[in-house]
Amino acid sequence: MNELAKALDVSTSGLRAQSSRLRNLSENISNADTPGYRRKTIPFRTEFDAGNGVSKVEVGRVSLDDRAPERIYDPSHPMADDTGYYDGSNVDLLIELADARQAQRSYEANLKMFEQARQMSTSLLQLLRR
Amino acid sequence: MFQNLTVFETAYAMAVHASQRQAVIAQNVANADTPGFVGRDLVPFQEVYASDGANRSFQRATREGHLLGGSPENLEGIMREDRTLASPDGNTVSLETEMLRATDANRQYDRSLAIYRSALNILRSSLGRQ
Repeated sequence: MNELAKALDVSTSGLRAQSSRLRNLSENISNADTPGYRRKTIPFRTEFDAGNGVSKVEVGRVSLDDRAPERIYDPSHPMADDTGYYDGSNVDLLIELADARQAQRSYEANLKMFEQARQMSTSLLQLLRR
Repeated sequence: MFQNLTVFETAYAMAVHASQRQAVIAQNVANADTPGFVGRDLVPFQEVYASDGANRSFQRATREGHLLGGSPENLEGIMREDRTLASPDGNTVSLETEMLRATDANRQYDRSLAIYRSALNILRSSLGRQ
C-alpha cells in the first residue's frame, strides 16, 4: 500500500476515535442531571495493522466510572431515602468540558494531517499533467 | 547521461522518504491521546542518503521491508522518542512538534517533486519539444 494512502488510513482512524470519544462525552454531559447515572469512559489503544504495517488508534470497551455519585438533599424527591438524600450522577462537568476541548484539538490535528496527505498525493498527480 | 538518470532516482527516493515520514507522523498524531504510546520519527533523508552513497543505482529505502510490509518495530531508520519526556499517562507525542515535522515532510515532498519536474523539463527540451 502506498505510503500516503497509509497516512490517510491512520488519520481516518484518529478522526473516528476522537469523534466517538466526543459522542461519549456528550452522552455524559447530557446526563449530568440524571439521578444514578454513572459517567462512561472509553479507553484508547494502539492497534497494529499488520497488513499495512501501521499503528492505528482504536477505542476499547466502554467502562463506567466508579467514582461515588453526588449526594443531593431533596426530601420531596421520589428517590430520596430516609435521610432525605438521593444519588445524583457522578459526572463532573468541568472534567467533561476539558476532555471535550482536548478531543476537539486532537480531531483538528488529525484532520490537518489528512488534508496534508491528500494534498501531497494531488501534487504527485500534477506531474502527469503538462 | 541518459542511461542512468541519478537525479530522477534521488528525487524519487526523496519523495518516498517524505511520504513515509508523513505516514509515521500521521500515526503519532492519531495516537496523540493513547496512553503509553511512544512517538516515532524517521532518520532525516540527508543521513539516509549519505550512508547509502555507494549503492546509487537502486532506490534508497529508509528501512528494510518498507516495500514488503512487515513490522516497523526496532527496524533501522526509525527513531523512537525518549520515554523520560512522556506525560503522566506515558504518551510522548506533542502535537506542536508533530505539526512542525509534518510541515517539514510536506516541504521535502514538494521540493522533490519540483526537482523531478525540472529534470523532466530539461529532458523534454533536449528532445526538442516544449
